[in-house]
Amino acid sequence: MRTALLRAAGKELRASRALVLLSVAGVALGVASVLSIQILNRGALGAFEGGVRAVSGEADLSILGWTGRLPEDLLPEVLGTPGVGAAVPLQRVEVAVEGRPGPFDLAGGPAAPQAAGRTGRGSSASPSTLTLEVVGADLLAPLRLPWTLPRGGVAAALGEPGWVAVSPGIAAEAGWRVGDAVAVSSGSRRVVLRIGALVDFQRIAPLASRRLAVMDLAQVQALLGTPGVLHQIDVLAADPGGAAALADRLQARLGERARVTTPAQRTVEAEGLLSAFRLNLTALSLVSLLVGGFLVYAATQAALARRREELGLLRCVGATRGQVLGLVLAEVGALGALGTAAGIPLGWLAARANAGAVSGTLRSLYLLEGIERVELTPGLVALAVAVGVGGAVVAGVAPALDAARRDPLALLSSVTQQEAAEAGAGWLLAAGGALLAGAAVVSAATARWPPSGFVLAAGIVAAAPLAAPAALRVLARVPVPRRLGVRWGLRTLGARLPSAAVAAGAVAVAVAMLAGITIMVASFRTTVVRWLGATLRADVYVTTPSWRRGRSEATLSPRVLDALGRAPGVVATDLLRQLAGYAGARRVSIAGVEAGLPAAEGRVALASGDPHTALRLLREGAVLISEPLARKAGLAPGGSLSLRTADGERGFPIAGVYYDYGAEQGAVLMDLRTFAGAFGPGPPTNAALYLAPGVDPEAVAAWVRAALPGDAVLVRSNRTLRAEVLDVFEQTFAVTRLLQAMGLVIAVAGIALSLLVQARERAGELALYRALGATRGQLFRVFLGRGVGLAGFGLAVGWPAGAGLALVLVRAVNPAFFGWSLRLDWPLATLAGQGAAVLLAAALASVHPGVRASRTPAAELSRDAI
Amino acid sequence: MPPVLAFRGVSRLYRTAGGAVLHALRDVTAEVEAGSAVAVTGRSGSGKSTLLHLAAGIDEPSSGEVILAGRALSSLPDRARTLVRRDAIGLVFQFFHLLPHLSALENVLVPAAVAGDAQGPAEERARALLDRLGLAGRAEDRVQQLSGGEMQRVAVCRALLRRPRLVLADEPTGNLDDENGQRVMELLLAVAGEQGATLLYATHSRELAGLAGERWHLHSGVLERAA
Repeated sequence: MRTALLRAAGKELRASRALVLLSVAGVALGVASVLSIQILNRGALGAFEGGVRAVSGEADLSILGWTGRLPEDLLPEVLGTPGVGAAVPLQRVEVAVEGRPGPFDLAGGPAAPQAAGRTGRGSSASPSTLTLEVVGADLLAPLRLPWTLPRGGVAAALGEPGWVAVSPGIAAEAGWRVGDAVAVSSGSRRVVLRIGALVDFQRIAPLASRRLAVMDLAQVQALLGTPGVLHQIDVLAADPGGAAALADRLQARLGERARVTTPAQRTVEAEGLLSAFRLNLTALSLVSLLVGGFLVYAATQAALARRREELGLLRCVGATRGQVLGLVLAEVGALGALGTAAGIPLGWLAARANAGAVSGTLRSLYLLEGIERVELTPGLVALAVAVGVGGAVVAGVAPALDAARRDPLALLSSVTQQEAAEAGAGWLLAAGGALLAGAAVVSAATARWPPSGFVLAAGIVAAAPLAAPAALRVLARVPVPRRLGVRWGLRTLGARLPSAAVAAGAVAVAVAMLAGITIMVASFRTTVVRWLGATLRADVYVTTPSWRRGRSEATLSPRVLDALGRAPGVVATDLLRQLAGYAGARRVSIAGVEAGLPAAEGRVALASGDPHTALRLLREGAVLISEPLARKAGLAPGGSLSLRTADGERGFPIAGVYYDYGAEQGAVLMDLRTFAGAFGPGPPTNAALYLAPGVDPEAVAAWVRAALPGDAVLVRSNRTLRAEVLDVFEQTFAVTRLLQAMGLVIAVAGIALSLLVQARERAGELALYRALGATRGQLFRVFLGRGVGLAGFGLAVGWPAGAGLALVLVRAVNPAFFGWSLRLDWPLATLAGQGAAVLLAAALASVHPGVRASRTPAAELSRDAI
Repeated sequence: MPPVLAFRGVSRLYRTAGGAVLHALRDVTAEVEAGSAVAVTGRSGSGKSTLLHLAAGIDEPSSGEVILAGRALSSLPDRARTLVRRDAIGLVFQFFHLLPHLSALENVLVPAAVAGDAQGPAEERARALLDRLGLAGRAEDRVQQLSGGEMQRVAVCRALLRRPRLVLADEPTGNLDDENGQRVMELLLAVAGEQGATLLYATHSRELAGLAGERWHLHSGVLERAA
């Protein structure tokens, strides 16, 4: 019996190639969406984790500075702490390679105003500059380093000026060979390094960045960084089991001057930093899976409608309900398996295609390492299988249970699904309303819980398809058109509820996501453009190619500052220093600016607080905090911000909250003098020039470049910087757009599937039209009308849902989850264009089913045809 | 007056999946005069439906010619045959084949929609036909609310809507009880006669066949003229 049933299932799959193909495509795209995001998420963390492993290797603990730096004289104290087996001092410096574009390096940085020298951090290298992370290590330390230098390498590293070991990957990419000279810059300093050896960091940690390079610590300090300063001390415990106790001892000894972490803790910190970003993408990818599930549901429903009699007969001859259920679920599982098999490579390709964009976001927004490689692990394959097969089975369970529950006579009877669907439309609408109301209540009740906005968003996405059957049913009340054609197809959609409602529901979900995200991104863009307009007031911005990720080593030399002071037409110079520090346990970007410049208050867009008072307080030692920091830490003007300074934890009065869209984790702004008092004196990292009226910024930029031929500086006019910021903004949402497109493709496939089902299931009706004299062209137009009508209904339901979704994303999710407030913008022209594209795609998706339907012969009329 | 419909040496063969040849019709030659009513009888599988399908241009003969209003259907391309069917033929089926999502009136109007006829006159005529067949009060009802006899009367109205020259009815009473069958058949004959339409219908019933002016009998695909 089982063999016969399985054979029947196989026959069914073979007989419905087009339906199977579309269902498989739906599952494949859904799996691909989820998998690609998980690969990218894992790659993002893996890159960080790999970097830790490749640099710190077998070290049990890492000692890091709260402000990014450690005084060198901390090393003897560490070594003198009981239980320390060995300690390796490290200095890590980002250097820009001159004349080399970087594949994933998108670190132009969206936080342009910070780069301009004002709010925190931001733009650095030109969007295509290759950078290396040079790790300066004590190569004679008694701790076994995770990598080994070739024979004679240590002596050369110590003795040859500029000796550097790079990874084989970057050497191959850049065409470097051992012995080659490579010109790099750290801050405005230009240095020539010599490739001394190749060290394969990725052999130690496959996801580690190929941009890692190794030099002797003393050389790094002298050539690229700061003498007497360390960034990290890796510690090996004398007793491998005593690392935790050693960490406590070290922390007690070092006190406020440093923090002691394990490699695992550092990875957890990175996870925390990325949690919102990862959750956002994961949620979006799950929508594609949901839409794919609709397709499987529709296909299962169609298959069961077609085989109703067969199943009834099977039940009559003794097949149990369990056997029928098993048969249907086995079919659905096979669809899921096929979709998963196709979705896995597709997901990998999608991840690969988007690694660059995601890397850009990671670097510019989260100050983390970009994704080094996209890796498909057995765990991710297992996830894809679970998502694809499991999702398909879940989607098929309802129709399968329905078929299994019915008694044999009911299966053989002529009770149509249409009747059942019509009866259920009202209930589904009510269920959707209840779901939405429930989500709203839960969201309101948990308003302080950051993900509460997602609950409401999920409610909207889930309610949209439930409204589709009722919306379609309204069509049945529309007068019958005078002619058999497009309008006729549209009018009769309501008569095809079982398949039409699923397809319209799928389109509605996809359109809701498309519209919701489009409105949110447009709102974000408008907000950023206005923010740039309000705060980006200088005429020329000067930074260095290596200035990125808060490394305070990338500074402007006195010679550069002198040249800037002499530049023609400059009436004021705004200087900025910045570093990555900590407010309590929260990592924040801290910047010092010239708060005393004339009209300085005009250069900060305050969310709360009076600009004049805030700037006055800033000059007196208070700080401004960014909106994300204020929201996440629950801070407000008048309160106090506790920062880890060079002298330990110190409180700063909060003068105001400013809008900032560059650092999700939060940023702090203070006067340069306050900055120097808290973190020590030092050169600036960026400068912004204000020109006299009528002076050409491009001419001044050219003058600065010409005046500093020996220095590595990036000089950009206001206009250029704005354009770069917006370019990076667009890159940040590239993955989002891909996911939107995938969801939409699945939905349009759903339309094709629905129409194919109708062409097959309703062959009798089509044959009747043909018998009554309808031409093939008329039947084609009927199907065209149905396809476009489905898309139209998807839009009619999806657009309002998308508007609701956008409101939730803009008003609730972004403020609560990312911390920034957005100004709502309705990009009507873009939405209209998307609507037209959806209708066009639906029309194209209708062509094949329409052609098939038009070929229905009149002789197809049979007893049960209609 | 030339016949409305003529079969000239028409044969229709079907090949089964196993390769065997089935003769649905064998060398049929017959004519249907304008305004007449012809009943075709025969057992199940005798070729009655095939004959009607050929007459409607739904099927094509394996050999011979089907001539409708002087035109050989088999020489026409599909589109032209379709248009001939649309403009000259009305069809009544055993299982009604009404569209469940439309009302009785809307079902009657389907041929007008197919042909793109003007709405007003078509609806006027549809209502008149429904009235004539005793369905005036059911025009707005969905067909699922109608009885079998009422459904077939709606189907008759649909067949006659565009004043076809030829009405083809395949077992029009086969799915009805005797009483309803008799009533529907009488109405069909009467209204077709009033419209001046020629009627060719297939039936199992000798009684209903007796209502026609001429009877043909099919036996294993061979046409015999009944007395």
